[in-house]
Amino acid sequence: MSEARLLGPSDPGIGAAQGRQALALARLLPAVCVSAREVASSVMHGIHGRRRAGSGENFWQFRPFSQGESTSRIDWRRSARDDRTYIREREWEAAQTLWLWMDRSPSMRFVSGLARQSKLERCLVVGLAMADLLVRGGERVGLVGRTRPIASRAVVDRLAEALVGDPSELAELPRPAPLPARARGLLVGDWLSDPAEIARTLQALSAEGARGHVVAIADPIEESFPFAGHVEFADVDTSARLRLGEARALREAYLERLAAHREAIVAVCRRLGWSFTIHRTDRPATEAVMRLSVLVADAGSASATRVH
Amino acid sequence: MLGLPLAFTVPAVLSALVLLPALYYLLRVTPPRPRQIPFPPLKLILDLKPREEKPARTPPWLLLLRLAVASVIILAMAGPVWNPPPATLAGKGPLLLVIDDGFAAAPDWTTRIAAATERLAEAGRRGTTAAVVPVSDGVRQILPTTAARALDRLRSLKPVPYLPDRTAALPAIAAAVAAYPDAGLVWIADGLDNGRGRAFAEGLEALKTATPPTVLVGATTPVALAGADNKPDALAVRLIRADAHAAAKGALKAYDLKGLPIGGAAFDFGTATATEARFALPVELRNSIASVAVDGDASAGAVTLLDGRWKRRRVEIVSGETADVSQPLLSPGFFLQKALAPYADVHEVRSGTPDPIVAGLDEKPSVLILADVGQITGPAHERLVRFLDEGGVLLRFAGSRLAGGTGDDLEPVTLRRGGRTFGGALSWDKPKPLAPFDRASPFYGLSVPTDVTITRQVLAEPDAGLAGRTWAQLDDGTPLVTAEKRGKGKIVLFHVTADTTWSNLPLSGLFVEMLRRVVALGGETAAATSAEAGGKAEADATALAPNRILDGFGTLGSPPVTAKPIPPGFSGTGSSDHPPGFYGPADALVAVNALAPDATLIPADFAGLRIDRQMLKAAQPIDLRAALLLLAFAGFLIDTLATLWLGGGLVAGRGRRAATAALLAFGLLTLAAAPHRAWAAGDPPVSKRDMDSAVTTRLAYVGSGDPTVDETSLLGLKTLSRALANRTSLDPGEPVEVDPGRDELAFYPLIYWPVVATAPQPPPEAVARLAAFMKNGGTIIFDTRDALSSRSGGPPTAEGLWLQTLLAGVDVPELEPVPRDHVITKTFYLIDGFVGRYANGQTWVQALPPAPPEQVNRPARSGDSVSPIVITSNDLAAGWATDPAGDPLYPLVPGGNRQRELSIRGGINLVMYTLTGNYKADQVHVRDLLERLAH
Repeated sequence: MSEARLLGPSDPGIGAAQGRQALALARLLPAVCVSAREVASSVMHGIHGRRRAGSGENFWQFRPFSQGESTSRIDWRRSARDDRTYIREREWEAAQTLWLWMDRSPSMRFVSGLARQSKLERCLVVGLAMADLLVRGGERVGLVGRTRPIASRAVVDRLAEALVGDPSELAELPRPAPLPARARGLLVGDWLSDPAEIARTLQALSAEGARGHVVAIADPIEESFPFAGHVEFADVDTSARLRLGEARALREAYLERLAAHREAIVAVCRRLGWSFTIHRTDRPATEAVMRLSVLVADAGSASATRVH
Repeated sequence: MLGLPLAFTVPAVLSALVLLPALYYLLRVTPPRPRQIPFPPLKLILDLKPREEKPARTPPWLLLLRLAVASVIILAMAGPVWNPPPATLAGKGPLLLVIDDGFAAAPDWTTRIAAATERLAEAGRRGTTAAVVPVSDGVRQILPTTAARALDRLRSLKPVPYLPDRTAALPAIAAAVAAYPDAGLVWIADGLDNGRGRAFAEGLEALKTATPPTVLVGATTPVALAGADNKPDALAVRLIRADAHAAAKGALKAYDLKGLPIGGAAFDFGTATATEARFALPVELRNSIASVAVDGDASAGAVTLLDGRWKRRRVEIVSGETADVSQPLLSPGFFLQKALAPYADVHEVRSGTPDPIVAGLDEKPSVLILADVGQITGPAHERLVRFLDEGGVLLRFAGSRLAGGTGDDLEPVTLRRGGRTFGGALSWDKPKPLAPFDRASPFYGLSVPTDVTITRQVLAEPDAGLAGRTWAQLDDGTPLVTAEKRGKGKIVLFHVTADTTWSNLPLSGLFVEMLRRVVALGGETAAATSAEAGGKAEADATALAPNRILDGFGTLGSPPVTAKPIPPGFSGTGSSDHPPGFYGPADALVAVNALAPDATLIPADFAGLRIDRQMLKAAQPIDLRAALLLLAFAGFLIDTLATLWLGGGLVAGRGRRAATAALLAFGLLTLAAAPHRAWAAGDPPVSKRDMDSAVTTRLAYVGSGDPTVDETSLLGLKTLSRALANRTSLDPGEPVEVDPGRDELAFYPLIYWPVVATAPQPPPEAVARLAAFMKNGGTIIFDTRDALSSRSGGPPTAEGLWLQTLLAGVDVPELEPVPRDHVITKTFYLIDGFVGRYANGQTWVQALPPAPPEQVNRPARSGDSVSPIVITSNDLAAGWATDPAGDPLYPLVPGGNRQRELSIRGGINLVMYTLTGNYKADQVHVRDLLERLAH
């Protein structure tokens, strides 16, 4: 029987450690770029070369001046070399916005003896690492309901600052306000709330056409239910308690319930075009981040559900 | 209990053990609190009802642990005692505790008292009355009192120095048993039959008490001394024991009258019950032995006292016969020598000696025997009178010369000239036998053999005092042995010869005994010689009062009030009236011993008696309660930890802390319970300060006792040390204060000594160490700090006088003001002098030898060694001293930063000089020095 506990107030708080960890993790992975396919109409500038002329920083090509164009776009230095007049075109560069939400409710403070980290730590590490990766890839990342999209190199610090003192810290689900159209969402949590409520929230978030990725962080104990004998379970969010004389007898029923719960969430995600990923805290965080990198960069098969 | 030496003081508590099954049931149905597990997905299954809910039970091992703890607590409450006192309180009535208090009980008296105390305590717990009956009390009536008062009586008991007759106490015990028929009898016996042990036991059995009397017998019986014999070569002491249970080997020690040990002797019984130990000592030492005791055995029986009777007398025999003894085996001297040899050192003056009596007296005998010496005149007479006045015994034997002589005053009685002959041709009388000895005679008690006859003797003139002077007489009343006191001594006259010509007395054993008693008189003083006084009344008046009496433990002390004087010639052993010890005046002590010379110790035999015989337990009862409670506490702690563990509490920090605290408490308890061990911490041979000083070179100063001066010295040396570390390759440690009288100075190359005139002069040993320090190559800077007040040519200042006094005991070399070419001015900086707070003072160092002519132009000059002493008056330390921030402490005279820098430079030069010596005076530096001096 493994140990399980909640992080107490005396445990080292969520702070710079997670930020450093996230940065270290992100440094291992190449910058993530959101697929350009989906951001054609985005007006935001980014550094993704779109392989076509447009507004951007980098030189793309010289093009002969055609009548009616603004003369301010003429590249006089090039034009002076011969008799024709040229216009310097730059490559069109654009950026995608990703809205991040990380669950910090009490149930996330759970850690068992089998896990490497508490769910909360893992959630923050994964979320912040993704933010850093995306920003390094030229995207912008914002916290749902907390910050504007940020493209700063110090995005991890900025996000962490924003997380501190967040009044919605105890909320189990993000605020059901729609994300901007074409923006992407990255929702990291344990998703143990009522499936109907989850469906309502996801629906609200994608009301304007946003899509995204749902990551469920799970402790191995929650997945395997390795209890036996005389055990009293205590709920984390409420004061509910369940005393079992023989805990093993309930294992099958619990696993069934868990599977059904997950199935319900997956169904909602699939309907809305979101992806759903399960990440266990006994696995390295790298796995989740790599999987998410692929998903974010690909963003095609939305409802892929995989367990990591 | 169960064959173990275990008992319970409150056995009723053990009945609580029957509650254990109930406890078992209770504990079983109340399992420990289940593990508390926070579980976030609990919502998913909150509505599920467990299908099979088996009631949780306490784990069996925890159950067993708790039951064990409960049992241990119950056992502890029952008051378990290891090696319990045997429950011997027979009978419901009063406890009659009969205690053998003869000296045989003395060696293990504390054990006996402890056993008796246990019985009394038990009686006290049971609330019965008790009586303590020492057998020496005899017929005293027995009145049971409360156990507490009986205990007081018990504590006041001491063993008596004799073996009382136990049967004397029987009537009183019988009366007590008659009064209290349900009384319980306990007899703490000494294990000896001496003192009528068997008869007493039979008497106790015959009392028909409700329960048979209990006898407590010790495992061992004592060793006793029965008489001593001063043999020619050694003092032989006879040791006896009752049986093989007594110690088989051991040692005797002999003490003189003052209690100082004289010698020792080992004894070994082997398997016998009697043995002998011999003190092979010179006769003078043997004669001063007053008591012999078994080493380590505190008992009056283990002590034998020796008085004058045991002393070996030196006896000189002077024979009146002519030199050519035709038949030496028939001469009086031969008979006397043979008779006296076992008891005395006999020496016969060689015949032919010019003045035999004087020659004999020159040997300083205690008894001088004159065998048939006629008239004594001239110097011999004077010497004899003096000899008698000093307490000597003159023993004369009659003979033809005495009978034919005209007589002298050295005879106890007036003699009729001409002897009396029995059985001769002219006499019709038969040879006369001896009459029994009179009471007043020293020979009283000797048996008179009937075959001793006297055929011829000298006769005493019948006069008034004759009867009183007669020690032995014939059966017709004719005096045979007469004696008279003369001075402190005695004259004894045998009216027969010492050979067999006049009687066959010298052939009998009686002759030996008589001579022995006469010789024993030698050295005794007048007080002991009451034998002259006839009559019983007079004898009583001169009875010998107890002087120093043995107690039961064999220690001589002042006599108890019950001790009565002994009559003269008392030859019995110690009793309640006459306890063993010394009697009589201090210069003529008579010893009474606890055991007769032929005594034996017989082990008590209680076979066939209806008596409950038990061993006297020496093992101390051990109360197991504390140990059991500690065990229960430990079990309780384990239970707490186990419960915490079962409830998952050990995971949380709180539980871990609780567990740590519990373990800590247990460890502390165990530590407290463990016997304290003292570690003898050997003093480190080298103090840390000395070790540091030996490892790191550092400057030192001598504390003056003036805090300001000391602080200035410390800060000045600190600044100097810093400057040295900054500017030179020397990195000195922190400066220290040293006390030349206390600290080892050898570690410091340079010692700064600010002179304070008001300080006391150091003790001579400190000055001696100072001189040694200077001789061994150390340098001391004396700073009189008086440059401002002293005038050249003026009177010396107080500091200067102080320094002169100090250095009066030190070998100070010739000094001179620092010359310009002295190496001390070149060792690091090129300086002219040593300035400190003042710049005008003179600095003195050991005078250099004059420079050889070829070295006159050398810029630096030095002697062979470092100057052991530097005397300055410029208050160097005050010039150096800065506070920790680097700001100078004292204004300088005349002042300026240049002076401060110069003072530091001077200090550096001084330190470098003490460390490098004449290095800079070497020729290789000459060129550089000249170059630098030129600029």
